[in-house]
Amino acid sequence: MKIDGQIFSVFSVNPNQHAVSVQGVTFTYHGAERPALRAVSFVQSAGEMIGVMGASGAGKSTLAKCLNRIIPEFEDGDFRGTVRIAGEPLEHLRVCDVAPKVGMVFQDFESQLFSTNVAHEVAFAMEQVGMDRAEMDRRIIPALEAVGLRGFDHRDPMSLSGGEKQRLAIASVLALRPSVIVLDEPTTDLDPEGRAEVFELIAKLRAQGLSLIVIEHESEELRAADRIMVLREGEIAADGPPSEVFARTDLLMGCGVRPPGLGHALKLLGIDAQPESVAHAYDAIVRAYPHLTATLVDNLADSRAPEHPTIAENASIGSAFMAIEDVTFSYADGPRVLDSIDLRVEAGDFIAIVGQNGSGKTTLAKQIVGLLQPATGRVIIEGKDRAQMRPAETAREVAYVFQNPDHQIFAATVQEEVAFGPRNFGLADDEIRRRCDEALEAVGLQNERQSDPFLLSKGERQRLAVASVLVLRPRMLILDEPTTGLDHREQLRMMALVRDLNRAGIAIVIITHTPWLVAEYARRVVLLRKGAKIFDGGVREFFMQDELLRSSSFRAPEITELSRRFGTLALTTDEFVAWVKGRA
Amino acid sequence: MPIYLYIDRGTFVHRLHPTVKVFALFIMFWSVYWVDNPLALAPVGLVMLWIAQLTDSWPNFYRLRWFFAILVFSTTIAWMVFYRRGAVLVNVPIFHVSRLSLIFGIGRGIKLAELLAASVLFLSTTKIEEFTYGLQRMRVPYRVGFAISLSFRLVPLFIDSAVTIVDAQRLRGYDFNQGGPLERVRRYVPVVIPVFMGALRKANNMAMALEARGFGFSHEPTTFIDYPVTVADILAFAFLIALGTLSFMLYWTGLGGIGPLK
Repeated sequence: MKIDGQIFSVFSVNPNQHAVSVQGVTFTYHGAERPALRAVSFVQSAGEMIGVMGASGAGKSTLAKCLNRIIPEFEDGDFRGTVRIAGEPLEHLRVCDVAPKVGMVFQDFESQLFSTNVAHEVAFAMEQVGMDRAEMDRRIIPALEAVGLRGFDHRDPMSLSGGEKQRLAIASVLALRPSVIVLDEPTTDLDPEGRAEVFELIAKLRAQGLSLIVIEHESEELRAADRIMVLREGEIAADGPPSEVFARTDLLMGCGVRPPGLGHALKLLGIDAQPESVAHAYDAIVRAYPHLTATLVDNLADSRAPEHPTIAENASIGSAFMAIEDVTFSYADGPRVLDSIDLRVEAGDFIAIVGQNGSGKTTLAKQIVGLLQPATGRVIIEGKDRAQMRPAETAREVAYVFQNPDHQIFAATVQEEVAFGPRNFGLADDEIRRRCDEALEAVGLQNERQSDPFLLSKGERQRLAVASVLVLRPRMLILDEPTTGLDHREQLRMMALVRDLNRAGIAIVIITHTPWLVAEYARRVVLLRKGAKIFDGGVREFFMQDELLRSSSFRAPEITELSRRFGTLALTTDEFVAWVKGRA
Repeated sequence: MPIYLYIDRGTFVHRLHPTVKVFALFIMFWSVYWVDNPLALAPVGLVMLWIAQLTDSWPNFYRLRWFFAILVFSTTIAWMVFYRRGAVLVNVPIFHVSRLSLIFGIGRGIKLAELLAASVLFLSTTKIEEFTYGLQRMRVPYRVGFAISLSFRLVPLFIDSAVTIVDAQRLRGYDFNQGGPLERVRRYVPVVIPVFMGALRKANNMAMALEARGFGFSHEPTTFIDYPVTVADILAFAFLIALGTLSFMLYWTGLGGIGPLK
């Protein structure tokens, strides 16, 4: 993506004034036992970018909502404290009154687009505040230019990619020329290309002097921020420059935040530095371990061979279980979504399917489980043609966990939710109880049997969704974006569960956009592009295909990129640190 | 496949003033309302076919073809149970199969199909912004008009979500086709609850996003697009008045009822 154009030269910011001032803000949601925010105080200088991090439930979104009066105007609860924007207190203002001062971009991009074309979407907020048509005309093109969507004026927002939709949402708030923009996890649902687009735009807005508050889970993305604020249980646990905050690895881990891989690696190597890039990390290591450069050439030759295999690589591979043979598929009257796909999954395998949004990943998964039928080709499960199997029959062999757990939860208790599947198969009550115990134990929800599923956290609901299909004792499990929307702690817990299931012999297929998940857990990678399989091989081999990665907008984890500069290929921080220390 | 019905074309129907389009929708409903006789429904139907051709809206009708077919068929069948007039042609338990019940049933089916077709044509040619503007010009409060027009945009999203949920439950071995009609309806509970919860969540997110974008700031928001009234609007308006009058006259004279066909 190319972002061109002049962003508005005039934001209503007085450089001598605090863009945001939050003093003693405490908020308790109606009916909650504990406050979601406790006496939070901070100021943001004009033009400053603050990255806000923390585990789910730490108060990040609550804080964001306090900045534009969604709290307490919209959310019911007890609010105390003061919020000022550009020196003006927000008390007595409605949310809509704050809109021209604070722009807010939400995680769910589809819930914030209301119009049928892009220009209308940008105009929407200006119409609401009663701006005249001539002024709207003057602002629309610069706003679209600012986010790289010039020329998209007549497109339907729903036809845009995820990254484009999110950039459009940013354009629509930019058009009002607020002094502060708050972005609440704006890239959670985006593929790597979309994420890159949004963060490229954020960097440009920052360079233009706009005050930004960005809530984000991935620490690498916030390295360019002026400050990082870490929230823990509603309180500020850390607030300072990225180099300081990211160096506090233990604190970050304790707050459910994944420390940047490079900084963590350097710390484990005893190097006191917080690198801003792979190049900086390389220089720091070379200074501390000067002899490593000499081994550079020597190690290139064996860089394909793992010296410290990951857990996934140690797992055993059994016999063939599922095969896709020359499958082609198109939706009604549409272009080809899958193009002559061949794929074999072995029993006990662990595969990551990657590719840009729209590359056919989910469609491929739906072919496997029988939700879609191939136009040509066939799917074989355990030697049987899947076309001859009913979906329910397939479900006992191959289970599919949807990206959004809320697409299946309906029961009053966790136990009933998990029991739903086996009941459909007419199993005896004793057997159902036994299987539910087993499945709930596996996902760590054994103490939540009588809980209301809708009151569980997102991570718990995701694990409940896994339990709900695990209870059918499938031999293969497909998980569509299993870690989306989860904080780092929940991600690790989810993936530990998946790894354990794999160790127990279940073939795992994950659809993901997250490089470190692929590196740390998968054994094999399948890369799709425009419905065609363009790579199918080992994880290390995959991360060595520079051109392939670039053309697919997929990046290797930074630690892998760093290791390649030393002529080896490490998939995890521990692996890289062990490699360096082995040569010390 | 696009989940919305709007088809971006530059036809004169697309370019009509939003108020005329909203009025056209009203007149179509009005015209269909007053008549029962399939023959009397023909003029409105022909007008709709002509507009569909003119506006290139056939893809939307094709997408909904089964819905149209089921609507006409099931309505015809249903009325043969409840409309028990005329000499019986064939003895079928429960049903009253007569020339009159057939005509009445088919008429009702066509009537519903035409109401649906009018909505499809309207949504194929009208953006939600135009819908809102049209309602606003007809003195419907802005918030109410916006909510009505936005709901049209949300329905396809909810349908999309419901399809995913049906898939998710099928993959847990759930069979939606078991039992009689009532049992089948009851079996949709595992779909209705997630759809409802999702709709609530989405509505809440959307309401927050709307207010955060200034919705409610002004009772009389301005409009980005200028909608000048043209000669075509005046002619279309006159045509619609004529169509509405014709339909009412068919009713008034009794020609629109089932009577003349007895």
